[in-house]
Amino acid sequence: MVVEDEEGLRLFYEEELKSEGYEVITARNGKEAIRQVEEGSPDLIILDIVMPVMDGMEALSRILRKDRKIPIILNTSYAGYREDFMSWAADAYVTKSTDLTELKRKIRELLKKKKAR
Amino acid sequence: MKVLAIILAGGRGERLYPLTRDRAKPAVPFGAIYRIIDFTLSNCINSGVRHIYALTQYKSISLHRHIELGWSILSAPLGEFIEVIPAQQRIDEQWYQGTADAIYQNIYTLQEERPDLILILSGDHIYKMDYRKMIDFHLERKADLTVAAIRMDRSLSREFGVIEVDGDWRIVGFQEKPDEPKPIPGDPQGILASMGVYVFNIETLVRRLIEDARSDSSHDFGKDIIPAMIQKDRVFAFDFRQGDRGGTGYWRDVGTVEAYFEANMDLVSLTPQLNLYDPDWRILTYQSPYPPAKTVHAEEGRTGTVINSIISNGCIISGGRIKRSVLSPRVKVHSYVEVEDSILLDGVDVGRGAKIRRTIVDKEIQIPEGMEIGYHLEEDAKRFTVTPSGIVVVPKWIRL
Repeated sequence: MVVEDEEGLRLFYEEELKSEGYEVITARNGKEAIRQVEEGSPDLIILDIVMPVMDGMEALSRILRKDRKIPIILNTSYAGYREDFMSWAADAYVTKSTDLTELKRKIRELLKKKKAR
Repeated sequence: MKVLAIILAGGRGERLYPLTRDRAKPAVPFGAIYRIIDFTLSNCINSGVRHIYALTQYKSISLHRHIELGWSILSAPLGEFIEVIPAQQRIDEQWYQGTADAIYQNIYTLQEERPDLILILSGDHIYKMDYRKMIDFHLERKADLTVAAIRMDRSLSREFGVIEVDGDWRIVGFQEKPDEPKPIPGDPQGILASMGVYVFNIETLVRRLIEDARSDSSHDFGKDIIPAMIQKDRVFAFDFRQGDRGGTGYWRDVGTVEAYFEANMDLVSLTPQLNLYDPDWRILTYQSPYPPAKTVHAEEGRTGTVINSIISNGCIISGGRIKRSVLSPRVKVHSYVEVEDSILLDGVDVGRGAKIRRTIVDKEIQIPEGMEIGYHLEEDAKRFTVTPSGIVVVPKWIRL
């Protein structure tokens, strides 16, 4: 699941990840993401931090209460997030970029790890 | 070095029922004028710890009121505070799942404070301890976590987290309420029990809480966090005797009505194990400005008499007799009354000729003239709580 408030970026991630063979669902903010998780946990979440309605940090904490084990990648261009204790609960951190190599690598890694569990 | 104390004050105290019917355990009155939490709060103040949060969840009104009235003593301009935090449900709509979850759910509060060390305490225990000694020990050992430990008899192992240490007091094993406890080396009848007092480095605490929150766990310090940390962090035990301000090794859980009764009775003994009179270690509380205690009448058989007892302000002993008892403020004892081995809480009124023995009477109860409590336990059990050892508890709000 891709959680991203900016429409252009959301579509971009969706297309890129679909072409990698993943099934992709999207949410526009933290609240929508939680609703999606309640309907059935995705295999992995890519989570933006700065979003309207509910930001990624609060969504992260609330999603983990619903599914403790779901892998979460924080995807952000905002550098100060590490100051936030809650961010330590994420499984990986990726700096937002149009080059998705790093993001794709992290996704592969986490899904592999999840399978091995 | 910035130290933040967090007091877990949500204890239900089910075995103290009916004293905990209307209040959380830390708010249960103790020693005539105190609440149980006063001892932990006083330890903090006397140890120079002046950044304090108390985490509550249910039945917290009484505790809130007490802390607001009695503990607004710190200097806000200096950044000091004692604040009660009710369960905020900021990251979950559920109650706290365990002691570790209570801290985890307040992770934003830790972040705002950004202390170096977190002192985690229980609001349920009565003892006098200098936390500075423990903090110094923690720093000296370059520990990630230090757990305060007290020697207990081996037979009590099922009530405690039992700590196993090496020669350096580094913790090498931790069993939660074991049947077969590891004894203290050289002391086969003794165990080292965890007092539920922890000093954590902030970063390690946050990391371990998050790991715990993301795993299948009961989210409890004793059951989950400490055993997991022993493997990978520097975890030490601190000998309570090094920080015990009373010097008597006094530490009580007062988890049951019996233990509560005995701990109160200790205070009226000739030399109590718990010394409330140390001018350098004051136990603070909230007290309304009631007039001084008073005895009246001096006729034969109708003499206001107090023997081996604690009497608080606002009490009037009017022609009745009090023996080995603890009286909270505003208790009125009328003529020809006999009160023995009992605990009367605030505002109790004992009517003329009544007799009370081995009984705890909760606040504002009016005992009718001539009533006997504690003399016919089978009768008492029909209306009150009677413990296996025959202590009667007259609950709040009952009409007699």
